[in-house]
Amino acid sequence: MKKEREVLLSVAGLSVSFFTPRGTIRAVRDASFEVARGEVLGIVGESGCGKSTAAFAIMGYLPKTAEIEGSILFEGKSISDLDANELRSLRGNRIAMVYQDPTTSLNPSMKIGLQVAEVVLEHMDLSSSQTSDRVIELFESVGLADPDEIGNRYPHELSGGMQQRVMIAMALACDPDLLIMDEPTTGLDVTTEATILDLVASLKERVNAGILYVSHNLGVIARVADRVSVMYAGQTVEQSTVYELFDSPQHPYTAGLLSCVPKPPQEGGETTRLRRIPGFVFSSQESNDDLCLFSDRCPLANEKCMTQSPSVISSPHGSEVRCIRSHDVDSDIWGEVEQILGVPQSQSETVLMAEQLTHEYGKHQKKYVLFGPETSTPVRALNEVDFDVKKGRTLGIVGESGSGKSTLARAAVGLIEARSGTIKLHNESLANKVENRSQDERSAIQMVFQNPTASLNPKLRIRNTILRSLRRFAGLGRDESQLRAEELMLAVGLDPSYLDRLPSELSGGEQQRVAIAGAFSANPEVVVADEAVSSLDVSVQAQVLNLLEDRQKELGNSYLFISHDLGVVRYLSDEIMVIYAGYVAEYGPSSSVLSLPSHPYTEALLSAAPVPDPTVESNSLRLEGAVPTMRERFQGCFFASRCPRKLGSICDDSPPPSQDAGEGNGHVISCHIPVKELSAVQS
Amino acid sequence: MTSLQSIRNTSSSVLTSLTVKGISKLLAFFSIASKTTSGRIGLFIVLIHFLLAVFGSFITPYSPTAFGAENLQHRLEGPTFAHPFGTDHFGRDVLSRVIAGARSIVWISVIGTTLGIFLGTVVGITSGYLGGWIDQISMRFMDWLLSFPSLLLALLLITIGAERFDIDESWLIIMVIGIAFMPNNSRVIRSASLTVKPLEFVQNARLRGEPLYYIVFREILPNVLPVIGVEATLRLSFALLLTASLGFLGLGVQPPTPDWGLMVSDGREFLSMAPWVALSPALAMGSLVIGVNLLADGIRQALQLPEVRSE
Repeated sequence: MKKEREVLLSVAGLSVSFFTPRGTIRAVRDASFEVARGEVLGIVGESGCGKSTAAFAIMGYLPKTAEIEGSILFEGKSISDLDANELRSLRGNRIAMVYQDPTTSLNPSMKIGLQVAEVVLEHMDLSSSQTSDRVIELFESVGLADPDEIGNRYPHELSGGMQQRVMIAMALACDPDLLIMDEPTTGLDVTTEATILDLVASLKERVNAGILYVSHNLGVIARVADRVSVMYAGQTVEQSTVYELFDSPQHPYTAGLLSCVPKPPQEGGETTRLRRIPGFVFSSQESNDDLCLFSDRCPLANEKCMTQSPSVISSPHGSEVRCIRSHDVDSDIWGEVEQILGVPQSQSETVLMAEQLTHEYGKHQKKYVLFGPETSTPVRALNEVDFDVKKGRTLGIVGESGSGKSTLARAAVGLIEARSGTIKLHNESLANKVENRSQDERSAIQMVFQNPTASLNPKLRIRNTILRSLRRFAGLGRDESQLRAEELMLAVGLDPSYLDRLPSELSGGEQQRVAIAGAFSANPEVVVADEAVSSLDVSVQAQVLNLLEDRQKELGNSYLFISHDLGVVRYLSDEIMVIYAGYVAEYGPSSSVLSLPSHPYTEALLSAAPVPDPTVESNSLRLEGAVPTMRERFQGCFFASRCPRKLGSICDDSPPPSQDAGEGNGHVISCHIPVKELSAVQS
Repeated sequence: MTSLQSIRNTSSSVLTSLTVKGISKLLAFFSIASKTTSGRIGLFIVLIHFLLAVFGSFITPYSPTAFGAENLQHRLEGPTFAHPFGTDHFGRDVLSRVIAGARSIVWISVIGTTLGIFLGTVVGITSGYLGGWIDQISMRFMDWLLSFPSLLLALLLITIGAERFDIDESWLIIMVIGIAFMPNNSRVIRSASLTVKPLEFVQNARLRGEPLYYIVFREILPNVLPVIGVEATLRLSFALLLTASLGFLGLGVQPPTPDWGLMVSDGREFLSMAPWVALSPALAMGSLVIGVNLLADGIRQALQLPEVRSE
């Protein structure tokens, strides 16, 4: 039985423009959506599509330079007609918002209990004892452990996930009717994200409110939303229920987004090549009312799309799409499905090898000559990690933030000097510090960083960056290196005219391509990619992943690919190493690591990873808290403090053995639970 | 022959390209400075003073150093149409002396500031990038320098320099300014370079095996230049004040060359009967310092840098 939908918020034809000295920026052009009570509306789209601006417009939080047109109706009343006082009481009492970054949303100098109590007192007429009861009740409702005591803590004493729970508690303080969540899990680890998403899902049932959930992550939307509204270049391009949207997208953009996301392998264990959306989001500086804004990137675009702005077509069962060719949309419009040709499983030559790699931050001594703490215990970031990267193959490294992934990457290239252990290139030991390696050794191992903007010197033109790299590594003359630079640009799919641009004139994806071109100018044998696609939008991420793969096929180089995103690692890697607190939890061929049996930590990561498919039941295995900071060597198992499958005192007392999973392919699990029992409990 | 010609050609083309580069840099500086109101006012005041410093000797209505019987007849005359700023105790035209006095103070301050910024930049960026014990030692040395009051340092250096080594006072003051400003400059620039150091492009340069000078001057320096620019303008006003103070104490330019500090010092005796003698150079000094400060503030606002105050 379908119950009557009570529409809380209805936004129609919303447009937001900012007038700046550099011209008008149309952040939102034509957004329309509805949120009903007891329903989660997900708004999804790439960055720069106006999702957050639309959310802020509803709250009335936009600066005065913004010009808002269209109607925003809350329970049938227009929000723009309200005066400042009415708006203020509406914001706290009826509509509440949760922001992306909990660390900056909380006052660092105030106990969290007081901060929540402040909100309660502001909007409700309660005595002080009632207030503190209410605060405890709120902490309980967002699943914070120890709700009676936790209010006495300061924000810095909480993990990111707990902080976000406090923010949600604050938003729930006055039983709002509408909850707006703007990317609430984007800065969090997958494991934490999963627990927050569970909380949102449970709120939907417990609190009789409508939730507007803004996210760029299709997997997250698939997990929480009932209805989804897809935004592109400030327009709502498609709107339907979550099942319909993921099953049969009507708009080419939605179909494209879905085919960009790396998905779990098919039954046969084969992964398909990612498809990509070429080009960029339609510029917000331009005003064009007489074409489909997606037409320049759309494979279906025809003459009519270029000359006429498509109107919204509603279907009888309530879905809407802004496309004149929506009946032609299927997943194949973004290119044929290509099978990735797997590298034969034969043991190829080892290129890069690490033995007992250990690193600590800080020293076992007085920090300063005269002042400072007497002693500081170093933080153990890597503990006797072994790995080897084979020729032409990819080793993926997964773990939460703080698990030692980046330390491992930087130690491998020598940017940080590992305290002990050896790194070998073709069986010859390398110096642990990059400055002490020879130029040939340096050129053999190159790195691509997470932040493409910071990877390029903002004051130098692309040409200077690439040429410098070529001169240092290849020792080419002037003309030769010019030619080679143009070749490199073409190889990463950029026009050679980009050489004369400054990094600030490029988009994030283009900057990352240039960074990759720079790394490949050294003809490296191993490229270490540290979260190289994490800061990119899905469509750009797909482009960069395909690029990395093409280069590997062409040049036969190896990758050490580091990411927190299991989907991405799974897509690219031949072998996977799961690390936790600087210890190797599991290591082996990627298909074995990602299938059962696995280490409880890998299991938790797998169950937490959001899958862009609403029909997938998510596993209920969850991890609370964060990776602990290691100062002492563990007595027992490194994972014992958070392990959902902890056996008992043995886990606290003795280090886990490295068990071979018995598959004959080097799949190793570090756990006290015998492999057979693991596979029994996990299936 | 041809090779010589080609060398000459290339060298001239290099020279023109350098001047073109310099002019375009200067224009860029002007356009940044004139983005804000305070920058525009500051730029206007500073430009007037600089023009006076350069061309002042051509436009002074009277000789600033004239000394004779007919002058002495006009001692300490108030402002008249012939002498808008009045005359001093030797009957010299104060306006002419103020205009001519701009030259020494402006050049000494500018060169001294440049020296201080140069030293501070080299020390600051290098020790910021290298870190470790080199950083500790050089920064403690800077602290040691900082603990000297700059006037005391000036007295010491000028007395020793002038008497023992017979160095010109102007150069000594420039040295004093350079040394006195180095510690603060190096601190500000060190902290700016510390924010650039961990960025990935610097790490990339390390992966390329770049030598120290390349990382410091090619990768880091261009990215701390805005900070250096603001720091330099801010320091300039301190340099002006220091130069004037030294002139006031009689340690600067020696008479009869006009010097603002010295003029204030000389005019002190007649403050009650002829205030214009001391007041005119003081006002000139004040307007220049205000102009420089406005300019620094305007640039800082235009570049959206945080306020730097090390004193």
